[in-house]
Amino acid sequence: MTQPLLQIRDLHIAFTSGKKDVPAVRGVDLTVYPGQTVAIVGESGSGKSTTAHAVIDLLPGTGHVTAGSIEFDGVDLMKLGGRRRRSYRGDRIGLVPQDPMSNLNPLYRVGAQIKEVLEVNDVARGKAADRRVVELLEEAGLGDAEARAKQYPHEYSGGMRQRALIAAGLAARPQLLIADEPTSALDVTVQKQILDHLDGLTDELGVAVLLITHDLGLAAERADHLVVMYKGQVVESGPALQILRDPQHPYSQRLISSAPSLRSRRLAASERAEVREEATEAALEVAEDTIAEASEFGGEATGPVIRATDLTKVFKLPGKGFSKRDFTAVDSVSFALERGTTTAIVGESGSGKSTVARMVLDLLEPTSGTVEFDGVDVGSIRTRAQQLDFRRRVQPVFQNPYASLDPMYSIYRSIEEPLRLHGVGTGKERERKIRDLLDKVSLPGAVMSRYPNELSGGQRQRVAIARALALDPEVVVLDEAVSALDVLVQAQILKLLNDLQAELGLSYLFITHDLAVVRQIADQVLVMQKGRVVEQAGSLEVFDHPREEYTKRLLAAIPGRSVEPAS
Amino acid sequence: MWRYIARRLLQTIPVVLGSTLLIYAMVFLQPGDPIVALFGEKPVSEATRAQLMAQYNLDQPFIVQWLLFLKGALVGDFGIAYSGQPVSELIARALPVTFQLAVMALIFEAVLGVVAGFYAGLRRGKIFDSTMLVVSLIVIAVPIFVLGFMMQLVFGIQLQWVPATVGSNTSFTNMILPALVLGLVSFAYVLRLTRTSVIENLTADHVRTARAHGVPDGMVNRRHVLRNSMIPVVTFLGADLGALMAGAVVTEGIFNINGIGNLAYQAILRGENPTVVSVVTVMVIIYVVTSLLVDLLYAVLDPRIRYA
Repeated sequence: MTQPLLQIRDLHIAFTSGKKDVPAVRGVDLTVYPGQTVAIVGESGSGKSTTAHAVIDLLPGTGHVTAGSIEFDGVDLMKLGGRRRRSYRGDRIGLVPQDPMSNLNPLYRVGAQIKEVLEVNDVARGKAADRRVVELLEEAGLGDAEARAKQYPHEYSGGMRQRALIAAGLAARPQLLIADEPTSALDVTVQKQILDHLDGLTDELGVAVLLITHDLGLAAERADHLVVMYKGQVVESGPALQILRDPQHPYSQRLISSAPSLRSRRLAASERAEVREEATEAALEVAEDTIAEASEFGGEATGPVIRATDLTKVFKLPGKGFSKRDFTAVDSVSFALERGTTTAIVGESGSGKSTVARMVLDLLEPTSGTVEFDGVDVGSIRTRAQQLDFRRRVQPVFQNPYASLDPMYSIYRSIEEPLRLHGVGTGKERERKIRDLLDKVSLPGAVMSRYPNELSGGQRQRVAIARALALDPEVVVLDEAVSALDVLVQAQILKLLNDLQAELGLSYLFITHDLAVVRQIADQVLVMQKGRVVEQAGSLEVFDHPREEYTKRLLAAIPGRSVEPAS
Repeated sequence: MWRYIARRLLQTIPVVLGSTLLIYAMVFLQPGDPIVALFGEKPVSEATRAQLMAQYNLDQPFIVQWLLFLKGALVGDFGIAYSGQPVSELIARALPVTFQLAVMALIFEAVLGVVAGFYAGLRRGKIFDSTMLVVSLIVIAVPIFVLGFMMQLVFGIQLQWVPATVGSNTSFTNMILPALVLGLVSFAYVLRLTRTSVIENLTADHVRTARAHGVPDGMVNRRHVLRNSMIPVVTFLGADLGALMAGAVVTEGIFNINGIGNLAYQAILRGENPTVVSVVTVMVIIYVVTSLLVDLLYAVLDPRIRYA
C-alpha cells in the first residue's frame, strides 16, 4: 500500500466567540491517497469547508485548530512554522474556491493573476510565464486563451471564471487539489462540463482531489471515497458506491432518501399523482365558492386559472453610442396553469424564466401577449378593487428567504402585513389566522415574536410561504423557492408545498433551474432556453422521453444520475 | 469616452450660470452700501457717488449686473476691483498660492492618511490602530482654527521651526505648516476610510484565494488589499481638492497667506460684487474639472468602470 498523501487525525477546530471556544469540527479523521478523489459531503454548517481550510491554514476569523494532526506527504503540517507551512500553499496543495464571482481580483487581468501563481511558486517568470499562462488557460478549456488572458474577470462568464480559477489552482502542479463546492454557483449544464474537465485534468496529472460538496449525487459520481460530515463530525466514511447502496448512519440514510437527484422516479410520480387528485378536487370547490361570492373576475370553475398567450418581453439595452439595442428576454411563451396543478418552468440563468414569473405576477408589463387570470386579461385591470383582488389571489414566494423578509419586522408583523393591507378581519381574528398559518407550515406559534435573523434558512422560507398563504390565494408563484436551501430542508419544503396543495387546492407556477426537484412537484413542465419554450410536456414525459436535445442535455447534467441507489 | 468628457464639460455651463447668479443675488441682498464701504468714514459727494455707481453698474437691477458680468467673463474680463486693479490680475496672483497650498495639503493627507490607514487596518485592534482612531477623532472633533492657532503657537512661535506667518514669501518650507493644518481634517477622514476599506478587503474571497495560491502575505497586502482599498479613497481625495481650495479661507487667515480665500474674504467684507463672483466662478470651474479628472482616474483604477 502506498503512503497516504494527506492524513488528518482527530482534528478539532473551534471559533472564539467572546471568551469561549465554540467547536466547529470535532474529531475528524480523513485520508487521501495520491491520485485519489475523496469527497466530504454535508449540509451548511457541518464543518466540511472548515476542515478543508484548516489543511491550507486559511481558517477564517477566529478559527483555530485546537487538537489533532494534519500530515501531508509524511510531514505534520501542524508542527511547521508559519513560513514553511505557507510554502505548501499553491505548489503542493492547490485550491479551487466556491464562488467564481468573488474569487478573482476584479482589478487585475486574469492572465496576470495566473502569472502571479507561477511567479510566487518559482515555476516560471517573465515571458516564459506569460506563455505558460496561455497554455494553462487552454488546458482549463478556455478557447482563444491568448486574448482571454488579457481580459478582466468581469468580461468572463461564471463558467469561464471557474475555468480560470481551475487553471490558477493547478498552475503550480500541486499534488493535492482542494475543490470547495467548485460548481455550486453555476448552471447545471456548465457544472457538468467543468466537473468533467476537472476530472479529466486531475486524472491526467495524477492530482489527488479533496472535493467539498453538499450534493450527495455529485459526490457519488465524482469521488472514489465519501466522507459524510454532520455537525462537525464524520458520521460515515467509505467507498462511494457502498455508502450510496447501504448507508449505515441514520443521517446518511436521510441524506440519500431526500437527495432529489437520487430519488426513485416511480415513487415521486405516484406520490405526485395522489397530491394532484386531491388538489384538483379542492381547487374546484374553492373556485365555485369564489364565483358564488361574486368575485371581481369573470370566473369559470372549469378553465385554467392562469393562461399566458404569446408572452413577449423586449428590454432596451444601451448599445454603441446613443443607440439602443433590443434584447428579447421572453419570446412568445404560452402555457396554461390548470387549477390544483403545478406547472414548472425550467431553464438556466438568462433563459427568461423569472421574467415570465414577473409578468404573471403583473409586476412587469409584457411587451406583447397577455396573461389571463380566471379568464380576465390581467393587463386590462384598471380598478383598485380588481387589482387588490388579483393581488390577493395570486401570491409570490421568492428565492432568497434572507432578503424577502424585512429584518426589522417581527415574524408576526411580516405575516400580518398583507392581512392588514387588504383589511382582513379584526386584530383578534388576524392573530388567530396567523397562528393557523404557522401551524400549516409546521412552525411553532412562539416564532411570532421573533425576527428573521433568529431563524434558519428553512424556517424563513416557511415564514415566506405562510405569508403568501395569508390571503387564501389560489395561485402561488414560486420563483426558485427551494434553490437556496440544503437538501434535507429542501425535501421538507417540497413536501410541505405538496401537502398544502392537496389541502387547499392551490395552483403552483414553479420556477427553477433544477430539473431534479421538478419531478417531485410538477405536473406540467416548460423547458426554456434563451427566452423560448423548447419543450412543453407532462412531467413524466419530459423525464422518460425528452424530445429536444437541450432537455436531454439538462437531464444528463443532473449529478448522480448514473448512480442509482437501491430503493 | 470622449463623448463622456464632452458631456461632463457641457454640464459646467449650467453649473457656472447657476452658481454666479446665486452669488450675485446674495451679494446684492447683503446689507450695507458698497460706496460707503469703499470710502470708509470720508464723505462722498453726490456726483462722485453717481459716477461710481455707473462705473460698477451698481445703478442697474442685479439681473442686468449679472448679465453684464457674464458678458465680460466670456472674454476673460472680470471687471475692475474697487482698488482699481483688474480682478483677473488679482485672481492670477492669488490662485497659484492657494493651488500650491491645496496640493501640498492633498499630498500630505493622501500619503500619511493612506499609509497610516493601511497599517491601522492590517493591525486592527492593536495599539497603533487604536491610537490612530483616537487621534483622528480628536482632529475631526476640534475646530480647524483651534488646531491651526495651536500649531502656529507651538511650531512657529515657541519652537520657531517654521515662520509663524507666510506673507508674500510662499516658499515650500514656509508653506509646510499651513498645508499640514489645511490637510489635517481630511487626513483623519482618509485614514479612517482607508482603514475601513482595508479591513473589508482583507476578508475578501479573492484575497484568501491569492493566499491559497501561495502568494506571500506582504505581497497579498500590497497587490490585492491595498490597491482594491484605494478606490473609495481616490474618490474622496478628488472631491477634496476642491474642498481644500474653498476651505483655505480659514488657514489663509491664520497664516496671513495672500491666496484666493483671503481675496474672496476681503471682497465679501467690502461688498465687491465683481471680485466675489469672479473668484467663485473660477472655483466652480476648478471644482468641476477636478471631479471630472477624478472620475476618469477612477476608470484607470477600476477596469470594471467604462464611460460611454
